[in-house]
Amino acid sequence: MTSAISVRHVTKDFKMGLRGLKLRAVDDLSLEIPRGQVFGLLGPNGCGKSTTLKIVLGLVSGTSGEITILGFPSATAEARRRTGFLPEAPYFHKFLSGRELVRYCAQLSGVSAIKMDSAVEAALELAAMTEAASRPIGTYSKGMLQRIGLAQAIVHDPELVILDEPTAGVDPVGAAAIGRMIRTMRDQGKTVVLCSHLLGQVEQVCDRVAIMDRGRLVLEGRVDEVLAQRDRHLLTIEGLTPEARLAAESALAAHGARVLSVTHPRRSLEELFRELVTGSRDA
Amino acid sequence: MRLRATWITCLALLLAAGALSERSWLSVRSCIPEIGPKQIEPTIGQGVLLGILGGFRTVIADMTWIRSYVLWERKDRPGCETLMRTACALDPHARYFWENTGYALGYDMAHWEIRRRGGYAKVPKEIQDHLFKSYARKGLEVLDEGVRLSKGRAALLVFAGQLAEMKLGDKQRAADYYRQAANTDSPPWYAARFCARNEWDAGHPMEAYVWFKTYWLDRLSKDSDHAPDDLELIRDMETHLKINLLSRIPRQAWEK
Amino acid sequence: MTFLEAVRQKFFAFLIVLGAAMVVSSVAFRFLDFGHGELKFIADFGFGGMFLFGSILAVVMTAQLFFAEMDNRTALTLLAKPLSRAEFLIGKFLGVWMILGLFVIILSALLGLVLWGRAQELSLLAEQSGRVAPDFSIRGLGIFAVLQWLRLSVVAAIVLAIAAAARTFLFAVILGALTVVAGQLQWIAQDVLLKPTESVLYKSILWLTSRMLPNLQQFNIGDALVLDSGTVAAASVGWVILSGLLYTSAYLLLGALVFRRREI
Repeated sequence: MTSAISVRHVTKDFKMGLRGLKLRAVDDLSLEIPRGQVFGLLGPNGCGKSTTLKIVLGLVSGTSGEITILGFPSATAEARRRTGFLPEAPYFHKFLSGRELVRYCAQLSGVSAIKMDSAVEAALELAAMTEAASRPIGTYSKGMLQRIGLAQAIVHDPELVILDEPTAGVDPVGAAAIGRMIRTMRDQGKTVVLCSHLLGQVEQVCDRVAIMDRGRLVLEGRVDEVLAQRDRHLLTIEGLTPEARLAAESALAAHGARVLSVTHPRRSLEELFRELVTGSRDA
Repeated sequence: MRLRATWITCLALLLAAGALSERSWLSVRSCIPEIGPKQIEPTIGQGVLLGILGGFRTVIADMTWIRSYVLWERKDRPGCETLMRTACALDPHARYFWENTGYALGYDMAHWEIRRRGGYAKVPKEIQDHLFKSYARKGLEVLDEGVRLSKGRAALLVFAGQLAEMKLGDKQRAADYYRQAANTDSPPWYAARFCARNEWDAGHPMEAYVWFKTYWLDRLSKDSDHAPDDLELIRDMETHLKINLLSRIPRQAWEK
Repeated sequence: MTFLEAVRQKFFAFLIVLGAAMVVSSVAFRFLDFGHGELKFIADFGFGGMFLFGSILAVVMTAQLFFAEMDNRTALTLLAKPLSRAEFLIGKFLGVWMILGLFVIILSALLGLVLWGRAQELSLLAEQSGRVAPDFSIRGLGIFAVLQWLRLSVVAAIVLAIAAAARTFLFAVILGALTVVAGQLQWIAQDVLLKPTESVLYKSILWLTSRMLPNLQQFNIGDALVLDSGTVAAASVGWVILSGLLYTSAYLLLGALVFRRREI
């Protein structure tokens, strides 16, 4: 089966000034994003991940290399018809209501008139924006903007969805909701490519990740594989007394293992926050 | 390949549009008041550009004319002449601007120039005459252009005739102007008479008589009052020239 | 979408109000009339308003609507859809075209109303004094409105082509405005081209500029159409319209080609 996105030896140089100096934003990048998974594209600012996404979407042309989306060349209408995109910090016309925006995007994406109403409502429902859909976008909060952006990206039922910083500026409850939407899309068989600086969320949502730095691919693989420290083990023990601890350390030392540290497990601040705050203020 | 074809198509469209534009400009040019670079140049920074660009021509012409009044008060000959000519160029269909520009040049500016040079006592008579004639010619140039471009041809021709007669002293030229005025569709009642008088005074009495007689027979006799004063002048001419009875205009029933 | 966005802008309403005020106030400035004919004076105010404010609208609004999409990054969202660059640009143009049409229709209707009202008054006065009443042609005014709409469309297409290549809104506006001025004065080059000259280079340069830059002055036949109806042949109007349509198409195509290469 063809990959959702296939990037082969893509390089992008930007010309700087009149002297012909070039800035290499993407350096011989090759990447295969499989179908039906949530793929995280990570990297520090200026690493080339946004440029890579733009080349994938045909917004910027690569200096060399080839990209296909679901088997189609990336700059073609066929590829874009199968792709949904939510840019970073999306901006939409404030005078439109949420429903009008989604309908407009559905028309641009070629959704037929017969399927229009159902497609729009389905997208709004997935994005949990049905109640607020009739309000002007100018009255939306940040989280609602992101969710309506998600709705416009998926209204035409694309096979591939690309999300650039979908939870930037969104509170943890809203971010969790978006995370759930991403998983729902994956369960529907879509491929989701996620670009984010929120590593905690990426870790929770993504199946595979790729890390870029200075235009190059540094690491790529399944999340649990790349994160696991195979040479170390974590035991969570209840009711450990000082004597039991000494006995355990001795037993392990006898087998050549060494206890590096003994600490209490911590939950994350995000987990605590979500436990304490019930419901979203967005609705 | 396809991209190259599209660029070529774009270029072809531009060239075709340009060629068509040349044709369409030729066909509508006469409908747009003419204004050449020479008229634009002196006043280009004075709001005149807006009028030339395509809007407010009449309004800008009026403003320019009003500004010329200020300079007229100051007797600023070059400035006044420039602004007046610009007003004519901006709205060439308006008789008013041509008429008054011609008059200002032909009648007033020679006096300003004499005063500027020291006054009538100081400037020699020959120089004064030269200036009067020189400015009269300038005035006539303006009126000639006005006749060509504006709609008030008859009136401008009469003014030109007056200027030629009084300031230039050129009776023949005056007669030519009055003749043109008399031949327009709605001539002033005196145009033909002035033409005949000036032609006579220019030393061509027979030509004056023949023309005036033909004119009276073709046009003036058909007026409601049959132009009796003009017929009287023709009779005087016939007497002076000793025209034989058979060649004269037949006696009219209403004639005294 | 472009039309909806444009019609909501205060700038558009401001220009309509200014233009309308100019047309209506022309009746109050009658005392400045130096024998042109009052209807001509009023018509000139209207033509001038349509030219001045229409050109400002065409240049500024076209550039603003284009750069708003770029700066707000709504272009990112739209161009990620199965929408070609050419379709995006043509969509922008059509929105602007509709707003320009609305502007021209409103101002023309108002001018027609003012002219008609004054013509009625002058007609009564003329009857009393036994003179010929001045008149104007509504049909001519309609044709003039179409020509102005077409002229502004050409301007909008040129500004879009400039905007497709320009990096900033200000640059696009300045260059667009200069193009309008050059287009209005282009007839001087065309006139010189028609006269015989020995310099091949001079003639070649003039020939090229007269092809690349539209002669916008040819659309200014309002005097003849409205006040001297019958002096403009229908065929002449046809040629002007055809040349305007060709220029619009050519510049839209040029804009699409330039925009194709632009990195969003």
